[in-house]
Amino acid sequence: MKNIAFSINGKNISTLPGTSILEAAIKNGFRIPTLCSHADLAPYGACRICLVEDENTGRLMASCVTPVAPDMKINTDSPRVTANRKNIVRLMIAEHPESCIVCNKGNRCELRMIAAQLGVAETRLYRMPNYKPFETMNPFITRDLSKCILCGKCIRADHELVGVGAIDYSDRGFASRPVTLHEKPLEQSRCTFCGTCVSMCPTGALSTQNTIFTGTPEMEKTTICGFCGAGCSLSMGVSGNRVVEVNPSPDTGTVNGATLCVRGHFAHDFLLSPDRLIHPMIRRTDEQGMEALQPAGFDDALSSAAGHLADIKRRYGPESIGFIGSAKCTNEENYLFQKIARVIFGTNNITSLGSTGSQALLRKAAERTMGDCRVSPLSDLENAEAIVTVLTDPDHTVPVAGYHIKRAVKKGAQLVVIDPHRSDLAAFGGFWLHPENSGSSKAFAFNAVNAITAHLIADDAMDHDFVKSRIEDPLGWMDAMADTDPEALAGKAQVSPQKIKTAALLLQNKKIAFVIAADLLETRHGKETLDAAINLALITGSIGTKNAGIFIPSIENNTAGALDMGCAPDLLPGGRSIADPQDRQAVEDMWGAKIPETEGKDIHGLIEAAEVGTLKALYIMGENPLRALPDPERVRTALKNLDFIVVQDIIKNQTAELAHVVLPAGAFAEKQGSFTNMEGRIQSFTAVVPPPGEALPDWTILAMLARKTGYPEQYTTIEKIRQEIRRVVPMYGALGSHRQVWIKPADSRNSGKIPLAPIDDLKVDDTDEKYPLSAHIMNRRWHLGSGTRTSRSARISASGNIGEVEMAPGDAKAMGLTDGNGNKPMIRIFSPFGGIERSVAVNRAVPEGSVFIPQGFSGNDAMHLVDFNALKPPGSGWRIVPVRIEKI
Amino acid sequence: MDPTQFDREKLDEIIKNYQDKKWGLIPLLQDVQEVFGFIPPESIEPIADALQMYPSQVQGVITFYSGFSLKPKGRCVLKVCRGTACHVKGSRSILRMIKKDLKLEEGETSPDYQFTLETVACLGACFLAPTMMVNRDYFGKLNPTKVTSVLGEYRKESKEA
Repeated sequence: MKNIAFSINGKNISTLPGTSILEAAIKNGFRIPTLCSHADLAPYGACRICLVEDENTGRLMASCVTPVAPDMKINTDSPRVTANRKNIVRLMIAEHPESCIVCNKGNRCELRMIAAQLGVAETRLYRMPNYKPFETMNPFITRDLSKCILCGKCIRADHELVGVGAIDYSDRGFASRPVTLHEKPLEQSRCTFCGTCVSMCPTGALSTQNTIFTGTPEMEKTTICGFCGAGCSLSMGVSGNRVVEVNPSPDTGTVNGATLCVRGHFAHDFLLSPDRLIHPMIRRTDEQGMEALQPAGFDDALSSAAGHLADIKRRYGPESIGFIGSAKCTNEENYLFQKIARVIFGTNNITSLGSTGSQALLRKAAERTMGDCRVSPLSDLENAEAIVTVLTDPDHTVPVAGYHIKRAVKKGAQLVVIDPHRSDLAAFGGFWLHPENSGSSKAFAFNAVNAITAHLIADDAMDHDFVKSRIEDPLGWMDAMADTDPEALAGKAQVSPQKIKTAALLLQNKKIAFVIAADLLETRHGKETLDAAINLALITGSIGTKNAGIFIPSIENNTAGALDMGCAPDLLPGGRSIADPQDRQAVEDMWGAKIPETEGKDIHGLIEAAEVGTLKALYIMGENPLRALPDPERVRTALKNLDFIVVQDIIKNQTAELAHVVLPAGAFAEKQGSFTNMEGRIQSFTAVVPPPGEALPDWTILAMLARKTGYPEQYTTIEKIRQEIRRVVPMYGALGSHRQVWIKPADSRNSGKIPLAPIDDLKVDDTDEKYPLSAHIMNRRWHLGSGTRTSRSARISASGNIGEVEMAPGDAKAMGLTDGNGNKPMIRIFSPFGGIERSVAVNRAVPEGSVFIPQGFSGNDAMHLVDFNALKPPGSGWRIVPVRIEKI
Repeated sequence: MDPTQFDREKLDEIIKNYQDKKWGLIPLLQDVQEVFGFIPPESIEPIADALQMYPSQVQGVITFYSGFSLKPKGRCVLKVCRGTACHVKGSRSILRMIKKDLKLEEGETSPDYQFTLETVACLGACFLAPTMMVNRDYFGKLNPTKVTSVLGEYRKESKEA
């Protein structure tokens, strides 16, 4: 294409056809004021502030929507342009309420800034305030539409970036405004409270509901969100050493761009929770002989911890101590933590609670693809030509990944949603595969994926080159698969063969991006389903190519990092195996210390050992096992059986109450470090605010502990730890060099061919007549995981989301749980292991025969329904439990 | 048809012709309005689903055009012309008379859903001023007697119906 030559303010410019005047001007350093334009949104031309003049024709045009044309002579601020801009701003101000002094947008209001730059003060126009309703009922977003200038950014962000469609314009002319369907309040609409519109709004029409602060924060600092695995870049507004506001960071090239989710945007108020731990505590016996946690100095607390742990090691051996690290802590902290466990205390008993879920899945997928799924940028997902989602609803787990999928669909990607539940994605224009008969098929996803695979093989629609060059011995597997009848598999999945055929046609000859539920391995037949999906990825050549691959929307922010740092009983840093003497030797050489040869205990093993008394002490960093693990009573009894517990955490939680020493730590916004997100992006960040009270960053506490035990290495700076990580973990060679770097896994093409997993018929469990319903303990966007942090968010608590059990309309009717008035009756839910009470709501998206129990609500009581032994490897899938329901 | 009762089956029949055709939104809305006399708010979500649009977008289109109404209208919709020519010829008195006769303000519908009173800026029949339309029929050169007889005629029809 030939470039177009024209000029802006006398400067000759040549640019590609189709470029807008605004883009060309910005690229060449000219400033044009805008209100409705945003780099991530399609040009719209609503505000007309960006007017420029073509001196050849004398035409005034909105530069954001006018493409450059040959020989244009653009003037960006001729007297005519300025006069017209001023008039537009005067008109906007004449319609705007004069409430700047109390407006939350404060000095960041773009309308005010532009008015100031243009010298518009008093408009001397007849004031015509456009009074519209003021909405503050929800605890997240305040809407004052009288301040709305109709730039449409909120609507376009909703439609183009987030894909929810909660709002659109209503009416015409003076009456027009952004409204929800039927003009209901936001909390009764489809709005997910991601807050993207709030950050985009140029005026104070949309603002964060804030009870502790209004106006302009003293400063804004960027950091990385500490909730889910997306790892969004945040810009935190700080005032008086408190985080008072959160917006997406204005940096380019971030994971999230201009979007966030309800947790990222609004739930950070947990940082100010009165439950924060602010000083170290030691369990002491007071004068009355009562044992209680009493405040102590850091030095005393660390001496007590180091002394007791050393004593227990001396008396009962290193295997009597266990360490629980956290996928919520940084890479540096997990590295230090596992090193302390292995080198100072001589045990491989180190794990994290995420190890049975997201982390196990990441490990398994990486093993099967020889590491080829480790780097999976979400931008690739957005540009994919075909996407298959397996049993995942990223709108609730990792919303930003969900936005990427929706944007891919808008760009024309084929989406096949494999999920019994009609998630938002299924409704969004995805081709939805689900069991068609009432009562869900128990191995539905496994059989559905295999049926598609069989279909593609039968149609000879696979990537022969990839199969030949990268797959180990494909012939035997192919023959077996060719003998399989896709229709029979479709029958087992309870999907009509026609639908499988359509899905296969949509995926034919395409490179597929698989989005696999992070909790897949926590469900029955999860491993087999993963194997089936990876088989399909392999035969279509979707591994190791651009815009395809395996994407795992992990629930916790540093799932990948904790794994890579060796926070696992059988893995050393860098994925080296304890069982492999060469691997062990390599790390021993680098550390100059012995590493125990036997693999440590996983989380199930640690709790069992505590029960039988072989485990004497636990050091828990940033985890709350009493809330997060199944069968909390059993876990409590086990922990009470221990001689000594150290809890290093940010929040006074149930587990801390059992501890002998409590060490207060800083949350992610209060420390320096790095997280590795679901994409394999290592993101470094620095502290936004200091930790509260006497609390210290986790890595500082660990470094002090190491010194207390007499360990010679001094970890006084984060850089010191990073130096060691860069040496010990080759994948992290670039850690800390830039704010954002990528992990570098070894090239899988050098490590040999990849085998296909055999497909065996699955034996499905019979339904227990006493427990006819199948309950899925699942994530809802309001809480992350077990909800230790999100339940401390004042806004989340005030939102009125109490985690009702969700039931299909038919089941609810059959049990007499619907009275037609929208009341939510209370029920008791019993599994073979326990019972809880909840209210119940009808949700059409739930398949008949299933109930959804949201996780993280009411103290995460859903875990009472689960048998602790479900965690025992290989894991029977604790997330789905048979239940019966009784009306109260 | 009773406008307070929403007939989903009837709606589905109309939607069927436009399934997955995003361009068909306006003709589809016109069909719905034709059959129901207005666009029942309950129909927004099914329409959006079928056309793969957001319900809020469908609502946006409906509220943008004054030709679409989300409120039930009467069996007879009166559109009294308030254009310049009609104004000069006394349409204000005509409107005042109709308001009094039907006991309706502009934009209102009678509780029995027989009459809706609207005004328009021009009917494009200035040579017949003052004019009004009832449903699809024009009535020109109006005077008080003629208005009374037209209204009487429609009222009689509604009693028979």
